[in-house]
Amino acid sequence: METMPCIAIEKKPPLSRNHVQAVKPRPLRRAPSSAARVRRLRWSGLCSLFLVLIAPVTAGEHPHVLVLYGYDRLLPAIVRMNAGLRETISPEVQISTEFLDYPRFSGESYARTVTRFLVAKYAAQPPDLIIAGGENALTFLLAKRAELFPRAGVVHMATRKYSLDLLPALPADVVGIPVEYDFSRTIELALRLHPRADRLVLVTGATPYDRSWETRLREEAPRFAGRVKVEFLAGLPTATVLKRLGELGTDAIIFSPGYFQDGTGKTFIPLKAAIGMVEAATAPFYAPSDTAIGIGIVGGYTPSFVAMGREAGLEANALLAGVAPQDLKLPKVMPTTLKLDWRQILRWGIAQHAIPDDAEIYFRAPTFLDAHRKEAISAAVVFLLQSGLIGWLLIERRRRQQAEQAEQQQRFELVHASRLAVAGELTASIAHEINQPLGAILNNADAAELILDSGPASDHTRREALRAILADIRHDDLRASEVIRRLRGLLAKHQVERQVFDLREATTDAVHLLRIEARRRRIEFILRVTPTPATMVGDRIQIQQVVIILLINAMDAIGDLPDDRRQVVISIEERLKRFLLSVRDRGCGIASEHPRQMFDSFFSTKHAGMGLGLSIAQTLVNAHKGRIWAEPTPDEGALFHVELPAIGAPGK
Amino acid sequence: MSNAALIHVVDDDASQRTALLRLLGAAGFDTRGYACTGELLLHPPQDRPGCLLLDMHLPGPSGLELQAALQPLGIRLPVVFLTGYADVTSSVQAMKAGAVDFLAKPVQRDLLLDAIERAVARDAAQRAERQEASRLRACFGALTPRERDVFDQVVAGMLNKQIAYSLGIAERTVKMQRAQMMKKLNASSAAELGALAERLSRLSD
Repeated sequence: METMPCIAIEKKPPLSRNHVQAVKPRPLRRAPSSAARVRRLRWSGLCSLFLVLIAPVTAGEHPHVLVLYGYDRLLPAIVRMNAGLRETISPEVQISTEFLDYPRFSGESYARTVTRFLVAKYAAQPPDLIIAGGENALTFLLAKRAELFPRAGVVHMATRKYSLDLLPALPADVVGIPVEYDFSRTIELALRLHPRADRLVLVTGATPYDRSWETRLREEAPRFAGRVKVEFLAGLPTATVLKRLGELGTDAIIFSPGYFQDGTGKTFIPLKAAIGMVEAATAPFYAPSDTAIGIGIVGGYTPSFVAMGREAGLEANALLAGVAPQDLKLPKVMPTTLKLDWRQILRWGIAQHAIPDDAEIYFRAPTFLDAHRKEAISAAVVFLLQSGLIGWLLIERRRRQQAEQAEQQQRFELVHASRLAVAGELTASIAHEINQPLGAILNNADAAELILDSGPASDHTRREALRAILADIRHDDLRASEVIRRLRGLLAKHQVERQVFDLREATTDAVHLLRIEARRRRIEFILRVTPTPATMVGDRIQIQQVVIILLINAMDAIGDLPDDRRQVVISIEERLKRFLLSVRDRGCGIASEHPRQMFDSFFSTKHAGMGLGLSIAQTLVNAHKGRIWAEPTPDEGALFHVELPAIGAPGK
Repeated sequence: MSNAALIHVVDDDASQRTALLRLLGAAGFDTRGYACTGELLLHPPQDRPGCLLLDMHLPGPSGLELQAALQPLGIRLPVVFLTGYADVTSSVQAMKAGAVDFLAKPVQRDLLLDAIERAVARDAAQRAERQEASRLRACFGALTPRERDVFDQVVAGMLNKQIAYSLGIAERTVKMQRAQMMKKLNASSAAELGALAERLSRLSD
């Protein structure tokens, strides 16, 4: 892009030409973009339509428009204007583009050469309309029009109102919307944005165009002199300018339209000159050109070069459609907008509330939401959904845990109830188990009394007898307590414990508890255990309960059999870090249709059975990472196995 | 050997057994203890006055079975049962088997000793009865066949004349044999003979 002043008129005619666009056969133009274009229809668009529908007055089927730019083709301002022009100009129009390359080429002889070149070049296809881009293109055309294409109308763009006012009145068929670089407003704004500034530095160049800026600025300077000290750096060598700008400090404001030529005669494009100055400057820099936004200036009120191109295109359409130039009703001046560079606002610490609401802010680093709104919304939605899902899952998990806890509690109650039931079943034998020592105690006490009654206690024999009796009483008392301890252990509603215990010892204990019951039923228990302790981890009482369930089942199975089959064999073996506890009876065995069912709750083949025993046993064994199963035995009878991990064994 | 009754105690619970033996010993009985019925059968006791004190639930043969097993050995000792569970079924069984008593553990001393004494008394009575019966049988065995015939007819209430006629012998001979028979049986009247005959018939049952 171009610096600020660039757009200005120049004088020289250039030679080059350009075919921008081949003639298009399509009758309708392509869609321009903005609402602005719709507005323009009021005065030109309708006319364009007219052109299409009715035979054009001044042009053939494919009107020829010559666009003549005053400067280099790569001048940012020109690139923008050309883009705007292409947006709006009718597609049927054949466009040729030429560049005068001011200020590299200038002077009267250059102008004449270009004139001859253009006349020769377009002799066969004279343009129906010429668009002048920049002030020097317009002045060139006005000067050479008679030699060039006197019948072609002229549309000018990017010509300052100030410059037009200096020219003689334009011919009626030369039209365009002048521009006004609103530098006074820009400077006013700068003073407002930098309330502490005490100096205003204005930089201009050495070409006549640059001088015209200086003139205008000097005319306006007194308006600001009361508030700040105004300093001109006009027509100085670039090196001097840069040095001065570098020494300013931050309490100054710089304003410059850039320049085409400095005090040493070196030429620039104004944007380049501005870039150099901005880099050197230590104070905020303001400029009236929209092409300079981004190089480091704070900003300024500026017309849009793209908009200038668009307007010129619409004017050309109207004229080619036969609208009389005086009927175009053009605005008096191109509107300007305030453009600011957000990075500079931050750099200079400009109070944001001071920035006018209508300012267009460039380079505002888009906030995350600005840049990725869609993604952010999607992410937020996904996040919310996910959170919801996670929350729901957590709630579900909590509920499941509660349910599991409740179930565990229930199972615990059931397991306990089962132990109570076992105890109930064993009441008679337990009573006997306790009565036995109690009876012995009573008999011993009675015997002692008789012994005492029969003679003096000093008698040695008697004393020995009494001592033996007391020892036996003590022994029997302990025996009774032991029964109660075992029973209480079995019946206590203890919480599940994990402890290290000896499976062998626990099993023996359980067998003892049932021994009397077995004797009552005239059943023999045969216990074969490992020679060494069978150490495992778990709940001792639960494992005992499993043993008791299996033993009671076995006893029930052989209750009605002849004596030689009234045996239950309990064995414990160790295999590969696992203990195998087996209970074998010689009863009627397991019906082949029941091997799985029998571990289900409420499955029973007994008349009085609840069908909970094996189900509970399985629950308890599973809780110890073990397994329980029944093995079909070749001879009659049932064989149940319980496999439990030894301490330190890997899980199942 | 003392004159005290000998009590055989069978209980598999050693301390219970010891306590019972101790108590009975202190009460003046001779005692002998066995852990199971088999032990007692392996060493059959001499036939001495006394009784059996049995636990109702013993490993191996039960107390009832023991009683049955001792009978052929000529040992007829009254039984007192002790039980840990005094259920109706086993008590009925025990009493049917002729148990003197059926006691629940733990048993009071007085109850136990009372039962034992009754059992011993019953044993004594039975022994006396058995002794009397064998004496009777011995006397009866001493009769000649003819005297036995006369005895039968006398007991049947027939007169000497009728007996003589029935046996085809002289009335006088009947009188002589009758006197011989009554002397052997140590009876002084026909009524006594009647009572004797009744006892004999009971023994032979």
